[in-house]
Amino acid sequence: MTSTPVIDVDGLNVRYGDFHAVKNLSFQVERGELYALLGTNGAGKTSTLETVEGHRAATSGTVRVFGHSPRDRRAVRPRMGVMLQESGFSPDLTVRESVGLIGALSGRADQVGRVLGLVGLSDRAGTEVSQLSGGEKRRLDFATAVYGTPELIFLDEPTTGLDVQSRHALWEAVDRLREDGSTIVLTTHYLEEAQQRADRIGLMHKGVFHREGTVAELTRTLPAEIRFSLAGPAPALPLHAVRGSDGGFLIETFALQKDLHTLLRWAQDGAVELRELQAGPTRLDDVLRSIGGD
Amino acid sequence: MFPIARSELIQLFRNRAVLVTMLVIPVASSAMYIYLHESVPAVSAALGLGGIAAVLMFLAMALGLYTTAVTTLASRRQNLFLKRLRSTAAGDAGILSGLLLPVTAITLVQVAVVLTVLAVVGGGPADVPLLVAAVLATAVMMLGLGLATAGLTNSPEHAQVTTLPVMVGTLAVAGWVGFTGTEELGLLKRLLPGGSAAELVVNAWTGGASLGDSLLLLAPTLAWVVVAVALAARMFRWEPRR
Repeated sequence: MTSTPVIDVDGLNVRYGDFHAVKNLSFQVERGELYALLGTNGAGKTSTLETVEGHRAATSGTVRVFGHSPRDRRAVRPRMGVMLQESGFSPDLTVRESVGLIGALSGRADQVGRVLGLVGLSDRAGTEVSQLSGGEKRRLDFATAVYGTPELIFLDEPTTGLDVQSRHALWEAVDRLREDGSTIVLTTHYLEEAQQRADRIGLMHKGVFHREGTVAELTRTLPAEIRFSLAGPAPALPLHAVRGSDGGFLIETFALQKDLHTLLRWAQDGAVELRELQAGPTRLDDVLRSIGGD
Repeated sequence: MFPIARSELIQLFRNRAVLVTMLVIPVASSAMYIYLHESVPAVSAALGLGGIAAVLMFLAMALGLYTTAVTTLASRRQNLFLKRLRSTAAGDAGILSGLLLPVTAITLVQVAVVLTVLAVVGGGPADVPLLVAAVLATAVMMLGLGLATAGLTNSPEHAQVTTLPVMVGTLAVAGWVGFTGTEELGLLKRLLPGGSAAELVVNAWTGGASLGDSLLLLAPTLAWVVVAVALAARMFRWEPRR
């Protein structure tokens, strides 16, 4: 299928005076994708996101959303919902009034009651925003973003401050939106969320992509990890392992299945107990920590 | 624009302090004039009804419209409400109009009430359409100055300082022109912000001035609108400084 991408960024540069926040960045987001923009603090992801949302002008380069400039609000905004990183609601308006106002301005049709039900705020409809908890404000923000089920939804740190239950409910709502064909652009500090849910990830560092691709592509280039600790004295390990400061062992391998088998057989044969055994692909946290260190 | 105006109106009515201010300005202004008229008619006559009308109009415009506009915009920016509104399909002009429509309407009602009391107690204006033109031109000028000032204002608290020069300045100029006329220092008085508008109110109330001369007085006020809007275009910010 050849369709124009929902988001098309080509050679984007964003500068603030002498500071070059985004350097020659290019990427595309296809219809129906969940694209996660990740990075260290100050990597340029907020600048990139704000430019794509239309809140900020590009210093140079082109950004197209649905084939239009994102600054063309009348053309673009009715088709996209934005969940901002910081709330920006009037404390004196109620939850119902806030969703009603932003919904009316979105250019989409929906019912406030339906949207509040979706995010579990129905019983808070008459409460003024100033009385809401941090997590409830995030859910209110999500409600305004998904009002009218837009084709494109920006989620900027959507689960920060949410308890486990609300986080689960939010991701369920996102899954339903994706079933309806919505495209999602996500930033998050919870990297496991991105690793579990994103189709593709752009990993930013110092204004450029350190890596970009599917989760599998990203982790394939890095060794998988086996972690464990030992209860007591044991025969010599069958594989090269690094001992961490907590006394645990770490084996890095590009042959996870084979090396894990070797380790398990060694443990079985020597009746060694492997405590806190974990094996799996490198976590994005580690990738991010490694690029943040240089 | 109208959904924003509606939500502003709701917020205005939930804020008791703002609501009280809105009632106090016209009531206090009217009471002051009635007291003057009844108790010290000599002073009242010496000041002239046109001059009093000009000062009372500027009292509502400067204390009500101008400071409320600046405070509202600074506060909506500080809590990122402006950014939120700009993440919708609404355009910038629609957002600003929506935010300022309620306070503008309320101020115009205040001015209408005060001037009606004045007319009933002391005698009506000679030229009502001219008076209306003067009031509307002044409102537009104060809104323009409010937008420009909001660009320099970081927070609602900061607005208490940043609004002082224009608020005190326009009131002083209105008083100066309204009570001393423009025979001396006419050019200066007319060019200062509020000066020609105040003169226009005096002319409209007392009558006698030619229509051409009066309409010419709209020019400095509208020039201030242009200056203020140009300043606002340079200085207005939609998001707080980081």
